Amino acid sequence: MEPLMRISELHTRFHTQDGTVNAVNGISYAMQPGEVLGVVGESGCGKSVHALSILRLIQIPPGEIDAREIWFGGRDLLKLNDGDIRKVRGREIAMVFQDPMSSLNPVYTVGFQISEALMLHKNMNKQQARERALELLNLVGIPEARKRLDNYPHQFSGGMRQRAMIAMALSCEPKLLIADEPTTALDVTIQAQIIELVVRLQQELGMAVMWITHDLGIVAEMAENINVMYAGFIIERGKAHEIYHQTRHPYTLGLLGSLPRIDEAPGTKLISIPGLPPDLIGLPQGCPFFARCAFREERCRLERPVLEEAGSTGHTVACWRWQEIDAETLRKAVGGAQ
Amino acid sequence: MSTQMPEVEVLTDFAVREHRSLWLDAWRRLKASRTAMLGLVVVAVFLLSAVGAHFFWNYNAKTDLDYSSKLLPPNLVSTAEKPGVHIFGTDKLGRDIFTRVVHGGWNSLRVGLVAVSISLIIGCLLGLFAGFFESFDMNLKEKLVLMCGLGLVLGLFPAWIARQWYQTLLFGGLGAASVILEKKLAYVKLRPVMFAAAGALLGGLSGLLLAPLVGLVCAVVGLLIGLLLNKPVNGKAFSSITMRVMDILLSFPSYLLAIAIVAFLGPGLEKGMIAIGVVGIPVYARLARSAVLSVSQKEYVLASQSVGEGHGRILFKHVLPNILSPIIVQATMGLASAILSAAALGFLGLGAIPPEPEWGAMLGDSYKFLSSGAWWAVLFPGLAIVFSVLGFNLLGDGLRDALDPKMRIN
Amino acid sequence: MNAEQNKLLQVQNLKKYFPVSRQLFSSQRRYVKAVDDVSFDVLEGETLGLVGETGCGKTTVARTILQLYRPTSGQVLFDGVDLASLQENDLRKMRSRMQMIFQDPYASLNPRMTVGAIIAAPLDVHTQLNQKEKRERVQELLKLVGLNPDFVNRYPHEFSGGQRQRIGIARALALNPDLVICDEPISSLDVSIQAQVVNLLEELQNRLGLTYIFVAHDLSMVRHISDRMVVMYLGKVMELADRNEIYLHPLHPYTRALMSAVPIPDPDKARNRKRIILKGDIPSPLNPPQGCNFNTRCPIAAERCFQEDPEYREISPNHWVACHFA
Repeated sequence: MEPLMRISELHTRFHTQDGTVNAVNGISYAMQPGEVLGVVGESGCGKSVHALSILRLIQIPPGEIDAREIWFGGRDLLKLNDGDIRKVRGREIAMVFQDPMSSLNPVYTVGFQISEALMLHKNMNKQQARERALELLNLVGIPEARKRLDNYPHQFSGGMRQRAMIAMALSCEPKLLIADEPTTALDVTIQAQIIELVVRLQQELGMAVMWITHDLGIVAEMAENINVMYAGFIIERGKAHEIYHQTRHPYTLGLLGSLPRIDEAPGTKLISIPGLPPDLIGLPQGCPFFARCAFREERCRLERPVLEEAGSTGHTVACWRWQEIDAETLRKAVGGAQ
Repeated sequence: MSTQMPEVEVLTDFAVREHRSLWLDAWRRLKASRTAMLGLVVVAVFLLSAVGAHFFWNYNAKTDLDYSSKLLPPNLVSTAEKPGVHIFGTDKLGRDIFTRVVHGGWNSLRVGLVAVSISLIIGCLLGLFAGFFESFDMNLKEKLVLMCGLGLVLGLFPAWIARQWYQTLLFGGLGAASVILEKKLAYVKLRPVMFAAAGALLGGLSGLLLAPLVGLVCAVVGLLIGLLLNKPVNGKAFSSITMRVMDILLSFPSYLLAIAIVAFLGPGLEKGMIAIGVVGIPVYARLARSAVLSVSQKEYVLASQSVGEGHGRILFKHVLPNILSPIIVQATMGLASAILSAAALGFLGLGAIPPEPEWGAMLGDSYKFLSSGAWWAVLFPGLAIVFSVLGFNLLGDGLRDALDPKMRIN
Repeated sequence: MNAEQNKLLQVQNLKKYFPVSRQLFSSQRRYVKAVDDVSFDVLEGETLGLVGETGCGKTTVARTILQLYRPTSGQVLFDGVDLASLQENDLRKMRSRMQMIFQDPYASLNPRMTVGAIIAAPLDVHTQLNQKEKRERVQELLKLVGLNPDFVNRYPHEFSGGQRQRIGIARALALNPDLVICDEPISSLDVSIQAQVVNLLEELQNRLGLTYIFVAHDLSMVRHISDRMVVMYLGKVMELADRNEIYLHPLHPYTRALMSAVPIPDPDKARNRKRIILKGDIPSPLNPPQGCNFNTRCPIAAERCFQEDPEYREISPNHWVACHFA
């Protein structure tokens, strides 16, 4: 099957006074239509920058996007002119951001903002757009939607704003919805509502969803495939089950170990990954995780590992020693060091 | 305080960034900006020449007079038909304009510096305390100092009328009593009457020593002061009163206010400094207050409270250092506008007293000769004003960029 | 919970109302009831977790315990002394025994002070140590929290978030306090750094015999670190119990919903569990609902819940709950 999107060797750099920041370092993957992909990593791992690079929302300069291709819907997004990429944004690929307050314009009503997008992209007239906006607000579960159309963003709570943002993103029935940490600013009970909403909408509308988050717990329940990112690299990629149960990369293992589990008896010590992520200016020559890794050896310092298939098809890991790695040894290795 | 603290292995042996204080960082950024450095050079040239001229170049304005060489155009080389080197020409009294521009710099810059210092110190203190006591409740000691001070200041009025200066101390005492007795008299309905009576007595008795009429006037003034001192102000009231007074000052057109103050005090360079300084107070007070209010909300201030640090420490160790940057920027810009104001006062004849060289006064003296072609007598003092103001503005802009907290993180 | 364990802190009927600025021409004064009748004890050496969502008043409770906000009513007994009734000077002396770790490691350290001066601040206020002794103590503390002792002359902006939080911990420990209130100490840190800080806190507790109140919105992290947990909602305590008890037998519908909303990093379990998704949003603390605070979102709310505020009662030994149907 023709994939929905295929990214190959995407690099994004920022040229600053202090040097070149290598935010994304040659990542390649493909997404199928209707797939839910989780992109997981800590701050500064390049997960948001890579999503912005797909839509070319990076300011150039200081930024620079360099890729073999970003194939989407039968064409290379990097080769589109400014007018055409603008048509892709919102219409084919829509994005929902972390902070719903700053993504909505405070001086217009929510209804106006949604119908404006519809009038722009779908050539609807005012009446049609308003009706459709109402439908969308109902779809994302905003109570008393007709009344809410004429409210301003500040009259919405955080969760409602995020729903409105999702409604706006869905207005043009995109083929891909990129959700960039949409629940990070929300409370857990509201987060659960939003997750449920997106899962429901994804099934109803059949669109592909890329869910970017720092929390391995959130994507566990919805993602088919998961990319784990570190220092601008994808260091492990696979089906959700493989990522959580046949973890191969010491970083992914460490991330899992540092999460306390509500479903297990407390008492075990958390596994912490020592140190800090590397400086993206002047990355080390070898494995980017070298300095924090409990399994490092001389080879890791000198040679940068590339993604290779680990065990099952589609499960790839960028680690020289993936065959020797599992949770028990990591726990021992970390425990021994302390 | 020593306890058994077992050794642990050092986990993080590195800091993320290079070791530099924030001030050093700001200086580096300032150095990187060309316009700011240009401003700094201009400012330095003016300052050095003014200071150098004042101390090492004798010039007596009162005796400098030469009718034989009045209104000579600039002349760089001394020749037979044009004797005497006047690179900027001479003015209507035959005085060398270059000499006077350089010496005038001392006066103009001095006015600027002193005026800005006056508004900076008074304005910042007012704003600092207003903002601080709006965020933190006053404790007993602070209330005591405030009410005592208020009594002293207000007491100046009857004391001035009756020429009995010890009166201020009596009213200071009344202010203090108001704080000390606050709790005891909290439910006494007659408290305002008691304080009014006390005030009237304090004012009236000492006035009576002079004359019955003075005693009566002083008693009335004292009564009003007593009423004012009756209830100790809390921090919020202190702040809002201070800021409303600042609003009133700000609502006057600044030049008119300065002129009015000079008219009241009489002309002279020193009076000009005071006038320009007073006019500038509200700007700094407002700036300082809003900066203090935002810094007071920061968690490190809360942290210092939870550690048990007192108000003094919080104010001077945590709040003050963190509001300095906007104030430094404002002061630099303020120097430029103070120099302009000084020149304006000088031009109107309200600044320096005539033979003293001062840029604005030089303009005022010479603009009448512009029509007879003596452009140099106006151009050079004018350029001096333009470049010094420009220099301070460029420097201020550069400082703003260098000290901007938003630029600090990456 | 052990009956012999000493009660280090007793919070009794604590209330903190913040006045809302009055509207013009309205004689009625309105209050945000940030903390409304909260009671619990903290035992010596334990960690009490305080968990809840935005606006539940958990941070206000923490700050009111330390008298950074003076309570509207109620008592805070620390070692038998009521902090709420203490004058400023006596309170300052007590402060050396209870310290706080703050949420935002970027905002809680004064950017104009060196790390050494920041950590030494409590020593300046409460001890008569000379410069050399202070410096030694600061270096000792830096070592204790896993930082290089040569960092004393550096500034906070030179450190990462996790390192700054360690500096904040060092400041809190400078006076050997009995009680440390951790106010969301990890919520602004990255996942892998969170684990570092939590492990450090646990280690320090074992080593120094500290008592913690651990405030957070992350239920799984609170359960990991605490011995007992308090679940708060809109200024009130919903449930208080031992961490295992509350997990195995949650009695309050809010606790149950909160528990089921926590993501589980395991696709098989996450997809098969039944989630309780609460409807609607958290009401504004400015006008909380009549009756039970939770009635607008409660899946089992009945007539009674809209009329009567449920009593906060001990339903089984050491398990407290405020629900009519518990």
